[in-house]
Amino acid sequence: MLKKYKPFLRAGAIDTMAYRFNILIWAGITVCEVACLVFLWLAVYRSSEGGMDAAIHGFSYREMIAYVVLTTIFNFVTYNNDTVWNINTDIKKGTVGNYLIKPISYRGKFAATSLGNLLTMTLMFGIPFYTAALVTLGSLGFLPDLSFPTFFAHLGLFLLAGLCASLLNDTISYIFGVLCFYTSSGWGLNSLKVTLISFLSGTLLPLAFFPAGLREIVNRLPFAGMSQNPILILMMKYDLAQSIRCVALTAAWIVVLELFAKLLFSHAVRKVTVQGG
Amino acid sequence: MRYVHLYFTCIKRSMISRLEYKKDTIVALFSFFFSNLCSLAAVYFILQSIPALAGYSLAELGFFYGFSMLPISLDHLFSDEFWLVAYRRVKDGDMDMHFLRPVPVIFQVFAETFQPEGFGEMILGVALITVCAFHLTVTVTFGAIAVLIIGAVFGAVIITSLKVAMAALAFIFKRSGPLLQIIYNFSSYAKYPLAIYPFLIRTLLIFVLPFGLFISLPVDTLLTGAHDPWLLSFAIIGVAAVFFALAVRIWTLCERRYESTGS
Repeated sequence: MLKKYKPFLRAGAIDTMAYRFNILIWAGITVCEVACLVFLWLAVYRSSEGGMDAAIHGFSYREMIAYVVLTTIFNFVTYNNDTVWNINTDIKKGTVGNYLIKPISYRGKFAATSLGNLLTMTLMFGIPFYTAALVTLGSLGFLPDLSFPTFFAHLGLFLLAGLCASLLNDTISYIFGVLCFYTSSGWGLNSLKVTLISFLSGTLLPLAFFPAGLREIVNRLPFAGMSQNPILILMMKYDLAQSIRCVALTAAWIVVLELFAKLLFSHAVRKVTVQGG
Repeated sequence: MRYVHLYFTCIKRSMISRLEYKKDTIVALFSFFFSNLCSLAAVYFILQSIPALAGYSLAELGFFYGFSMLPISLDHLFSDEFWLVAYRRVKDGDMDMHFLRPVPVIFQVFAETFQPEGFGEMILGVALITVCAFHLTVTVTFGAIAVLIIGAVFGAVIITSLKVAMAALAFIFKRSGPLLQIIYNFSSYAKYPLAIYPFLIRTLLIFVLPFGLFISLPVDTLLTGAHDPWLLSFAIIGVAAVFFALAVRIWTLCERRYESTGS
């Protein structure tokens, strides 16, 4: 049943491998951005009432810097699929017609490709980057003291949360991609998606900084599981029970949004006009 | 004069082709406003938990953010085509046609696109500046206003020059988009006062990639009178002139190395 998607998984993995030079350049850009954020946070803590030793919304400045570095690596490794773009291109070039008549699901093809991307990124960049970051941050005293059995439980849950986050991201990308059937503005939709996720997932700043009412809502939305929660699991800011609840919430959202995507697609597909192809 | 006429003819043609995609422009504009709203909300949420950032109040930081959008939007209006040159057009062998025409290639690239989206950015920037200005208590001097206007206009010249120089490298390396991206992204550093950065970054932002020179220093001049407005204006205009001359020179040198990829 799932075997027919294996070529897409492989293609996704190989594709990412082929663009490793571009990925390195993006890593350069990312380092500049992280540096900017770190300076900003240091200035925030220096200006706070308690000075450098203050905890703002439960984060000390050390934890905040660890948070910024780890979320950046997490986003870099987990989110690099081009699902919105690819659907947009398929619609514009008419190649979407080819997939509609083949005995595989259009949705399944993208999920498999994304998993392939994730696999390569995790092996090629994730493992060295996470290791380097954890060792450096840990030895600078920016992370809590690790007691080994608990740390491995958290690490396992973090990897699971990362997998869920990647799947959820692909589902959301797919929904935005299907919206291209209606507007054909792939660029605008893609940047809308990126902004929405980076704001509501806690990438820009942890959700603890949001005003109370808004925070309660955002914490229950799917986005919190896409950046903030996996990182807080890894940093052991959540205990095990809370970590498991977070992963379960994300998994539940995948099911709900997947159903929504199916309904949306069956409506959108009636709109499609294939011009040649 | 002939060039002015030519420029407007080209721009008119580009606008006509843009009007084919009205709905796309609306989606793009909406996503642009939304993303700025999110960054502003983030800064606002952070400031709720501290009294002031490095001595700057919320209104002052909003002023910085709004003002940084002005030179960026001016540059955005006129020179968007250079992104395509850097990322795609040289690599795709799409530049040949420009070399066959009896006008300088650099002029043709400028005349290729006019990005009305830049106006959205400008309106948002001006709106933000206006709102924040009402919450500021500063003595406005003529010099401070002058240096802000000069910072916005000549800052745009500096950004465009950096863009031209980086895009020109595509003639040699076929693709220089990512390099241009790295340089350009430093403009986001200039959304905050220079005071929050360590000495090294501050120096970099004034003397090497001078985003701080034409964004942070003019705003500081208005808020605190920290710098002499006339000296600063003079410096900004001088740097803009040097950067522009260098950019055109780099472009001309690189242009000669162009080989069509023929695909």
